[in-house]
Amino acid sequence: MSPRTGERARCITGIDGLDTILYGGIPRSNTILLTGSCGTGKTSLALEFLIHGAMQGENSLFVSVTENSDKLLANIMPYRFFEDDLIKSGLLEFVDLPVMYERLGMTKPEMSMEEIDLLVAGISSIAKELGTKRLVIDSITSVCYKLKTSEKIRDFVLKLSKALSDLECTSILVSEVSAPASSYSMFGVEEAISDGIILMANMERRGDLLRTLQVIKMRGTMHSRAKYVLDLTPVGVLLVPLLKGGSSTK
Amino acid sequence: MSDATNIANKLARELSEAPPSSAISLQMSVDNYLDVLRGTLDMFANSRKIDTIYVTSTISSGALKRVLNALEIDTSRTYFVDCISHIMMGASAAQKDDHTTLVESPTMLENIMLKVEYLIRLSQSKEKLVVIDSINSLAIHNNNWILSEFLHILVSGLRARDVYTVILSVEEHSTPEINNMVNLVCDMGIRAIAKEE
Repeated sequence: MSPRTGERARCITGIDGLDTILYGGIPRSNTILLTGSCGTGKTSLALEFLIHGAMQGENSLFVSVTENSDKLLANIMPYRFFEDDLIKSGLLEFVDLPVMYERLGMTKPEMSMEEIDLLVAGISSIAKELGTKRLVIDSITSVCYKLKTSEKIRDFVLKLSKALSDLECTSILVSEVSAPASSYSMFGVEEAISDGIILMANMERRGDLLRTLQVIKMRGTMHSRAKYVLDLTPVGVLLVPLLKGGSSTK
Repeated sequence: MSDATNIANKLARELSEAPPSSAISLQMSVDNYLDVLRGTLDMFANSRKIDTIYVTSTISSGALKRVLNALEIDTSRTYFVDCISHIMMGASAAQKDDHTTLVESPTMLENIMLKVEYLIRLSQSKEKLVVIDSINSLAIHNNNWILSEFLHILVSGLRARDVYTVILSVEEHSTPEINNMVNLVCDMGIRAIAKEE
């Protein structure tokens, strides 16, 4: 008997292990929170999601908030499947959000409700113009620092998710949390609003530090909730199950 | 023909009779280690143009390569997953080699699986062989429960992809628990031990 996976069309991430965990991929138009502490591989995974999309002919957009996109590209894992043509052809686009802030005149440390609307409109207008089907914002936490209150963060994430979903765009919002975090996002709001949560972490076991990935929530599909160990390699993110025999011997 | 040649020949012949996707328990004596290397890597894998992924937790890949060179065994199709050099603080030399991938410690069993998976994806050869050298040295660093789980997941994954798996165990160092663990996941067993005088 095959498992019921619902009726939703899938956005195949191209990351074999993740697509298996998600029974075929992320439900299309979902907004996913990809969360974890530093050094867990969030940016690499998000970027690989976009590259695979571009390779399948889907327009893909990386909105960089914390790092200049040139620097980002220089530091990424030299993927064997990555081709410069993806960028030259416009299938894979990079936008630096600080540049957009400047153009929109958002120079104050805290955004007003009107500015939130302006920012959402700005991002969705670029996505619409480019025909974006996959989008990554790295990181949403940095944007949230300019929003300050949970009401504004809720408003921003809700409006952004709605706008991108209306464009049939599958999105990953990268979220940073401190290592021993009890919640899945810095402000505790983003996790409640997103359609899915993928948690990446560093797990210490007998002095060894393992990178792990776990899908906590994913609307519109069945999914594994088990923890997996991952490796960032030139052929992309690879995943294997965490051996349970070791989970009690931290 | 010497005992050593006999063992290597017999081993290569028995491996050749196994269908792809077979998991083979290869029990040997310490004295027959070199014959096992020749029979497995040279007479079986190299002669059939099979890429070998050799997981070593017994001796460093550097030492192993020196042994293979001394035996005049071509290593161009052999890729090493070295689980021992890093903890011996001898990583830098091994890192320079394209054919060697390091795992920080033999306790990082998931990382061994990940490196094997990575090398399988890189390999262009139609048939592939994964050698685990050895279950006894992995047992020094891991308890039987996690090691058994590791073997089950690794072998099941390799079998599904038609990859040969050979799990080496050293008879002098084995225990009934380790033998049971290996037998549980293997389809056949080969004993590569010279007959006693």
